[in-house]
Amino acid sequence: MKKVSIIGSGNVGSTTALYLAEKKIADIYLIDVIEGLSEGKALDAEEGAPIRRYDTELRGTTDFSKLVDSDVVVVTAGIAREPGMSREDLLNTNAKIIKSVSEKIAKYTPNSVIIMVTNPLDVMAYVALKTTGFALKKVVGMAGILDSTRFRYFIAHKLGVSVRDTTAMVLGGHGDSMVPLPRYSTVGGIPIIELLPKDNIDKIIERTRKGGAEIVSYLKTGSAFYAPAAAVAEMVECIIRDKRRILPCSAYLRGEYGIEGIFIGVPIMLGKNGVEKIIELELIPEEKEALYTSGSAVKKVIEKLEELGVL
Amino acid sequence: MKKISIIGAGNVGSTTAFYIAEKNFSDVMLIDIAEGRAKGKALDLMEAAPVRNYDAKIDGSDNIEDIAGSDVVVITAGHVRKPEMSRLDLLEVNAKVIDPIIQKIKQYTPNAIIINITEPVDALTYYIWKKGGFESKKTIGMTGVLDTTRLREFISKELQVSTADTTALVIGGHHDYMAILPRYARVEGIPITQLLPKEKIDKIIKHTREAGTEILSYLKTATAHYAPAAAIAEMVEAIIKDTRSILCVSACLQGEYGIKDLCLGVPAIIGANGVEKVIELQLTIEERQQFEESETVIRKAVEVLEV
Repeated sequence: MKKVSIIGSGNVGSTTALYLAEKKIADIYLIDVIEGLSEGKALDAEEGAPIRRYDTELRGTTDFSKLVDSDVVVVTAGIAREPGMSREDLLNTNAKIIKSVSEKIAKYTPNSVIIMVTNPLDVMAYVALKTTGFALKKVVGMAGILDSTRFRYFIAHKLGVSVRDTTAMVLGGHGDSMVPLPRYSTVGGIPIIELLPKDNIDKIIERTRKGGAEIVSYLKTGSAFYAPAAAVAEMVECIIRDKRRILPCSAYLRGEYGIEGIFIGVPIMLGKNGVEKIIELELIPEEKEALYTSGSAVKKVIEKLEELGVL
Repeated sequence: MKKISIIGAGNVGSTTAFYIAEKNFSDVMLIDIAEGRAKGKALDLMEAAPVRNYDAKIDGSDNIEDIAGSDVVVITAGHVRKPEMSRLDLLEVNAKVIDPIIQKIKQYTPNAIIINITEPVDALTYYIWKKGGFESKKTIGMTGVLDTTRLREFISKELQVSTADTTALVIGGHHDYMAILPRYARVEGIPITQLLPKEKIDKIIKHTREAGTEILSYLKTATAHYAPAAAIAEMVEAIIKDTRSILCVSACLQGEYGIKDLCLGVPAIIGANGVEKVIELQLTIEERQQFEESETVIRKAVEVLEV
């Protein structure tokens, strides 16, 4: 059996464990520094196994040495912003957490593929890559699948069609500067620009951009975790089963799309080695420009971390 | 599409919605009085649908009138235990929470089958049955499916066999007095009494009895929700698909096992009408004694309820 470790047993981490258990593709370790949290959630999910008919193992621990021999490590660790905390403080704290987690990954399971989920994930993926010294293709960030599943749901909802028939492409950083591409978003293969008027598409794009904030505004004390965890589990499955699906993920670019030295959301081929290939779409000038804008936002945050001495 | 309403969008409620979505057999209406909570979780689940390939519609609302036209109503409202609390400690406070819900179900979806999870389950299922004047077969408590999945998990861990090959029955109340029947706990049909020494079985029984408390002691601020929600979803599926599965549930007894006017855990055929039939096991004297202890505790508990 393959092994997947999930660092951080909050809602996103433990829901990812649940989706993975349902897929029955790997044994799962939930790791968290909070005593009891991983153990309790893993045991609860194990106790559901007889009903849900999976025989994968689910374990919870505070011991990072249990990372050993993981095929995939999912990183969801980090603190949420507390009242009175500046964005910069949050960034600084979480970058340090990711740095320390990455050192442990490099130590205990140097051959794994890392999926970064902690936000800002394009930046945190960079922190992990730099800290671990892993091959470039072995670190990948989860963003585009989440953004595109939301985009797809909104398209299906608007047109009154099944979500199964939809595809959607979202590039760029995971944030306000994401770049949804209507030309590459389809229903049964038909681009949505042929099915919906522009103002409807604009509205859907705006809602996708703010998809995370919309859930927070409802839940108030928490953020989204079902759709994010479903997206992570999809990526894990691709890697474990070497499915080589084409999915939008955050990958390290070396000149593709004219961008160099940062992680940003682009379509990739995801397989057992991680980023098997970066797909270069043909972009029209305004799409290209939106992607560059998104890229410079990511670059700025990295520079900020270098200034703070975290990197 | 059939419609399931889940009242209470906490961990158990929303995880139940998640499992039902994954099973993709009915629409779900999540209801919670906390504004935004049900809507946020429902929207999050819908946004996962394209990746997970389900087309069930998951909706959220803070207006209980939206339960109208439900085939099944799941009640997960109310308070949950804190460490050091017993389930029965929640009886009076949760009866108050459930009171208005009973009225709303009568008003908006009187023909729905009700599955109660609010603790203490057996006593409050009885309360819902009597107070609402619902049909006995349409008022069910979720207890034994959870206790048996835990028991099966522990048996399979001990014997290192797949949980798929295990079966188990747990009857009586869903609390420290639950009656775990080793004769009916089997691996591929073989009673565990033939596979494990008595002290191992005793340990597993004790572990099962304390399993809810064990999770609580790990999580501290939350109770178990994955296994409980999986159990609820299993019951809902049996009803919606009329599978007539034999499941251990808290059923409204009307003479079965010689017990009248009480809800207690028993094996039952679960189908489109709810409890299609209570199955009466041939209990040994010792097992009967355990079952009756459970009966006494629940009967005493419901005395304080005004119905």
